[in-house]
Amino acid sequence: MAEKVIQIEIKRQSGPDAPATWEKFEIPWKPGMNVISVMREIAANPVNANGQDTTPIVYDSNCLEEICGSCAMVINGKARMACSALVDKLEQPIRVQPLTKFPVVRDLSVDRSVLFENLKAVKAWVPVDGTYDLGSGPRVFPQQQEAAYPLSNCISCCCCMEVCPQFNDATGFVGAATIAQVKLFNSHPTGKVLKEERLRALAGDGGVQECGFAQNCVQVCPKQLPLTEAISDVTRDVTLQVAKDFLRA
Amino acid sequence: MATAARPDASPSSSPAAHGSVARGVEPLRAGKGNSFLLRKLHSLSGIVPIGAFLIEHLLSNFEALKGPLAYANQVKFLNSLPLVRVLEVCLIFLPLAYHALYGVYIALRGKANVIYYPWSGNWMYMMQRWTGYIAFVYIIQHVIRQRFMGVSLPEHPGAAFHKVQMELSNPWMLAVYVIAMIAVCWHFSYGIWLFAAKWGITPGETARRRFGYVCAVLGVVLAVMGLASIYAFVGPNYKNAPDDVMPAQTQLSMPASRGASLSEGYLARI
Ligand code: HEM
Ligand code: SF4
Ligand code: SF4
Ligand code: FES
Repeated sequence: MAEKVIQIEIKRQSGPDAPATWEKFEIPWKPGMNVISVMREIAANPVNANGQDTTPIVYDSNCLEEICGSCAMVINGKARMACSALVDKLEQPIRVQPLTKFPVVRDLSVDRSVLFENLKAVKAWVPVDGTYDLGSGPRVFPQQQEAAYPLSNCISCCCCMEVCPQFNDATGFVGAATIAQVKLFNSHPTGKVLKEERLRALAGDGGVQECGFAQNCVQVCPKQLPLTEAISDVTRDVTLQVAKDFLRA
Repeated sequence: MATAARPDASPSSSPAAHGSVARGVEPLRAGKGNSFLLRKLHSLSGIVPIGAFLIEHLLSNFEALKGPLAYANQVKFLNSLPLVRVLEVCLIFLPLAYHALYGVYIALRGKANVIYYPWSGNWMYMMQRWTGYIAFVYIIQHVIRQRFMGVSLPEHPGAAFHKVQMELSNPWMLAVYVIAMIAVCWHFSYGIWLFAAKWGITPGETARRRFGYVCAVLGVVLAVMGLASIYAFVGPNYKNAPDDVMPAQTQLSMPASRGASLSEGYLARI
């Protein structure tokens, strides 16, 4: 019986300023493979489809169960998590390239620190640090927990930003993920102490106003965050905050 | 996390301010700049006053279905509004110029990607930009040719029907009007939907879907009304309308002495 092979083409780049090239591989098929496991096979035997020796592919991954958010890449033209991209469900040759809106570090590994910077800019945390014990926090009712839980599922993969037509060099838009986290932390009984600061931050250039409501973010999000609902709610809160600040000035 | 672009981005300072080569999309400029205000003004201006004016304009044009005289009366009525020239500048020209210019700026900065992500919301996003461009080009020629060239309608409302009829007698112009009518009604009705979604009026998925139906119906009604008005000018009912159905209007704005004698004569007749 002829051995089944997987055809995969990977866009490679040896460094941030190196030119990009496509490299083809033919990898023996095994049951249940995903794009990460294919690249592990390449690492075990780094030979391309022309039989030439090559280097293993550089990529980010960790959990292999779509929960760490590190393995986002563009697979067959769509941004998605590589670890949950099952080979048997993909059209071949599988074409894999790095996210297009983030600077390439090497091969499929990209620098997504912009999301971290954005989360810091909106203070996406619950401030509990202090010099003395603050005691237990206020009670969070189950209803509040249920509302917050979907938003807390964000894995910071940046897919929502990659697919957003407004997230680009011209706008410097903050992206859906950060806006959703603002909603999450503003709804937290202790986290909401920073609510006004977060809303003011989001009224800055590149803030909520840049969203054009194309809704790609909500379509692509691997964790199904209610992103458009969050954008709508948060934009209203930002607008009210700006109006309040104007009248209290 | 791997960092290629901003290796020296320290937690407290923004990479752009660092002097290092900032690559990739710039992070949020928290609390800085005034694009929020400008963008909200753009959004609001699309509804009031521009959207409100669009509805008024379509309703007025609908009078054309009742014939040249009814149309002339509508034009005359609008021009009799108090401070009409001030209203025209403040509620139409300025907001429209702002919305249009800022709209082009917004559209140019978006990177449509429907080829890769052919989802309905993404299509509508792109259409909002294309219908905006169509409206932009159309409105410029429409205002120049109908408001500032040829017979001045504020002084000669009676000539309105004829003026439009002449314009639409050119089949190319007719096509331009039909396309622009559909594009503008599309832009406005989806614009209302966008407005509700973006200002937090319809955060819920279901609410947005339902409101989508409402906006779709409104868009179709407006477009059909607009197309019907176009038909009034080119259809068989009012072929070869007279140059001016209200010539008296001209005389009323003549020098006082003649105007006085005219009105005396007019009064004498009743
Ligand atoms: C007939 C005149 C026009 C009307 C009634 C109108 C109305 C509207 C409305 C109601 C919106 C929704 C506001 C929002 O996004 O929240 C909108 C959005 C928009 N308009 Fe207009 N508009 C007109 C002309 C134009 C023109 C000439 C352009 C120029 C290209 C333009 C470009 C845009 C763009 C790009 C948006 C989307 C903004 C965004 O998604 O953030 N519009 N318009
Ligand atoms: S709704 Fe569209 S424009 Fe807004 S964040 Fe999502 S993808 Fe971007
Ligand atoms: S919101 Fe969704 S798509 Fe965006 S970073 Fe979080 S998990 Fe990823
Ligand atoms: S490896 Fe963690 S999400 Fe894919």
